[in-house]
Amino acid sequence: MLMAMTAGPDRKPGSILAARPPTRRAPGRRSPVPRPAYAGAVLLVAGAGLGAVCALTITAETAGQITAPGGLATFAGNATGMVGTYLALMMVLLVSRIPVTERVLGQDGLLRWHRRLAPWPISLLVAHAVLIDIGYAQAARSGPWHEADMLLFHYPDVLIATIGLALICVVGVISIRAIRRRVRREVWWTVHLWLYLALALSFAHVLALGQSFVGHPLVQVVWSVAWAGTAGLVLVYRFGLPVLRSVRHRLRVAEVRPEGPGVVSVICRGEHLDRLPISGGQFLFWRFLTRGMWWQAHPYTVSALPAPPYLRLTVKGVGDHSAALARLKPGTLVAIEGPYGVFTRHAQRRPRVLLMAAGIGVTSVRALLEDLPRGAKPVVVLRAAQRDDLVLEPEVADLVKRRGGQLHELTGSREQAVIDQYSLRRLVPDLSDRDVYVCGPEGFVTEIVELVRWLGVPDEAIHHEAYAL
Amino acid sequence: MKRAPLLVLAGTVAGFTGVLIFHTRPATLMQPAAGTGANPSRSATATATATAGNRGVAGPRALRRAMGASEQFGYGVLDVKVTVHGTRITNVSVPTLEVAEYTSQQICEQAIPLLRTEVLTAQSARIDGVSGATYTSEAYAASLQAALDALRMK
Repeated sequence: MLMAMTAGPDRKPGSILAARPPTRRAPGRRSPVPRPAYAGAVLLVAGAGLGAVCALTITAETAGQITAPGGLATFAGNATGMVGTYLALMMVLLVSRIPVTERVLGQDGLLRWHRRLAPWPISLLVAHAVLIDIGYAQAARSGPWHEADMLLFHYPDVLIATIGLALICVVGVISIRAIRRRVRREVWWTVHLWLYLALALSFAHVLALGQSFVGHPLVQVVWSVAWAGTAGLVLVYRFGLPVLRSVRHRLRVAEVRPEGPGVVSVICRGEHLDRLPISGGQFLFWRFLTRGMWWQAHPYTVSALPAPPYLRLTVKGVGDHSAALARLKPGTLVAIEGPYGVFTRHAQRRPRVLLMAAGIGVTSVRALLEDLPRGAKPVVVLRAAQRDDLVLEPEVADLVKRRGGQLHELTGSREQAVIDQYSLRRLVPDLSDRDVYVCGPEGFVTEIVELVRWLGVPDEAIHHEAYAL
Repeated sequence: MKRAPLLVLAGTVAGFTGVLIFHTRPATLMQPAAGTGANPSRSATATATATAGNRGVAGPRALRRAMGASEQFGYGVLDVKVTVHGTRITNVSVPTLEVAEYTSQQICEQAIPLLRTEVLTAQSARIDGVSGATYTSEAYAASLQAALDALRMK
């Protein structure tokens, strides 16, 4: 990859950043402490909603209706519709970036739930449409095609809800792993936004026709409040707060520095960075407001705590976007979303830590190292294919030295730089008494997590962050 | 959080039982508004009795009422209540009407006053019915016939 370097006009902000004594705790805010109890309460409420929705479906039904022609299909259609819609609402909430859950469960944890849950609302809602059609057709003693025509064109709001369902299906199909790999991330993301539209379109027919809603003003009000609340949360945390932070900090690219083969640091200059609540190891979504890049935001780790007025990210050029960062011009405006991530000091359960990073994973470890409490006596293990790939190594070495820790650098192929139970025990004799932070490519993270778990480190003391390359 | 699925499950059970307990009565989906001729409230019935008394219609069998059987039709359930003075049908109402959804509700609300007029004119359950509300008309007529049978009327 070609590196087009642009130096700052009159000063070297990067050198200012590097020159700051790393042992002194950087000024500025840290991300708030996670509160598992709050997240637990949110989960409890989410579960209660699901239970309430199931119960409402049952109470809306009378024995007479079930035994009437088409009653059973209609009932099943109502149940699948209610539960499917509720789960779709939960899907939105899982990615709405609510700080309370984000801080405890972490964005990748929430996204995992989001992906795991996804097939359910989609299939339930499709089942809902089919079952209602069958049920009504049986009740009216007509055919399903005739009844579909009746439903679509003679029932209020069903047509737009069906369009919404079609949109949901498109989003579902494009998110299937095999198809998603062939679609550009930006296309996939834009199509994903249709989901909000789809849910908005489906809202009206629920209140107008839903058996649990018609004639039940209380249920209507609670349901409407839940939806408006969800929309509000999405607006506040996915749109409002990022815009507010971007405007407040007014970040601009100050310098792009090469750090190693294919790796660049982008140093941004901004205002009030001491007010940005960020912990070492967290990441931001970065949107560089330049032609061809403004419409995509990508998650990159902040590779050092903010040193007002500077903020730095370090990126390895593997995709179109990350490679294009090397060509950023100083002065480019930058919008941010975040910070997110639970790979922080808040996760630490025991006094001492082991930090392990492979490749570009060193960025998280570098920032985390700066943020660790005194007495963490960090042991840091960095692995890279070759010496040149050990980016930010001088900074890491300096921070480790000042904290009375140890740094081990393993370079070479996997066969040459083996990390197994023997080498790890030798490098870190008190391994099982330490918290382990692992960061790097997915294969590396999985391998190390399995290894240290096997070596007796309990799950709550293992923290990891994998980079999707 | 390892306990996350457990918390969600506990919430689900709590929400489910909570709503079931809150909803002690079976949900009656829709009651047509009073004034459409259907579902007269208790006080209205009481007034009707009083008025009948004031008119001085004599005889123990002069004023009689009967409920028809609950009739299911494609879109719901209804039953019919009939009031008879001697041999004359003076009022018909629909105390219970449950339908699956809003459109059926509208159709029924439009049809029931028309059906009532037809019955009061025909003085029997042999009515033409309301077009566009065939199932409702059939159920209405059937329930009315049952009520009239109970009164040993024609």
